[in-house]
Amino acid sequence: MEQMVQGILVVNTETIPGMMITETLGVVSGSTVRAKNIGRDITQGLRNIMGGELVKYTELLEESRQEAIGRMVADAMSRGATAIVNVRFATSAVTAGAAELFAYGTAVKTE
Amino acid sequence: MAEGGTWLIVGLALSLPFLLLALFGILWTIAYPVMLISIAYPVMLIWAVLFSTKKLNQQIADTTSREALLRDSLGRDPLTTIDGGYRSDITSSGIVWAGVVFGPSHWHLLIGYINNLIGGSIDTFQKVVSAGRAEAMQRLRESAIANGWDDVINVRIDTADMAPQGGQGGVKAVEVFAYGTGVKYG
Repeated sequence: MEQMVQGILVVNTETIPGMMITETLGVVSGSTVRAKNIGRDITQGLRNIMGGELVKYTELLEESRQEAIGRMVADAMSRGATAIVNVRFATSAVTAGAAELFAYGTAVKTE
Repeated sequence: MAEGGTWLIVGLALSLPFLLLALFGILWTIAYPVMLISIAYPVMLIWAVLFSTKKLNQQIADTTSREALLRDSLGRDPLTTIDGGYRSDITSSGIVWAGVVFGPSHWHLLIGYINNLIGGSIDTFQKVVSAGRAEAMQRLRESAIANGWDDVINVRIDTADMAPQGGQGGVKAVEVFAYGTGVKYG
């Protein structure tokens, strides 16, 4: 089962097991800033009183991360890469209501 | 002149429902949270005092049992933090990730604040954060198995604060995000 994100192989290891990297094409990145909506903030705020997992926020971050990875992959594709290695993620809260999710890695050509 | 005045009245009469709707919308936006907080908060706080520790313990027990179940069925833990020195029979690889937003209850926050005055280690928060982390790692294992990977190498765990810095209000939670490279052996 080949997990290819739109035809590009994405891994967070330094090399790709079983493949040779022939050329590096520089750092590619993708980011997204997501705001939570006010209705969700209220319900999750109430849920927070009881503690435990905040399911809606988990889903929100999951979606946003998918989008960030999609943008990173699009960036790599525009450079003609076939894979992205050493992918890292970073998260920061811009304000109380918005979170920035950032994914970056090295675009490479493989054979 | 008189005709213009008539049109003005007709226009006002037609837009009146929309103006009322807008006014209602503005009032509702202010009143709804206030109403919810003033009615629901005391009830939920009492509920949290009574049951949040139980809920947290249940969550930890649930994660631990799923972990044990998976370890028994595989005979090993699929996660490793090692990068490099791969087995030579790897046929394919790809990224896998799992995230959980997890927060302490307001009762645990209160205990934490009191603990904070005395100093020393705050066991309540440690318990909450490690419960969230264990859950994120377990989801990473489950998502890797569901996607057909045999192992996950180079696992990294990232913890981000969801609460605004020094701000009042908002949720008090951390996001635990675990990711790694799934590999399949031929």
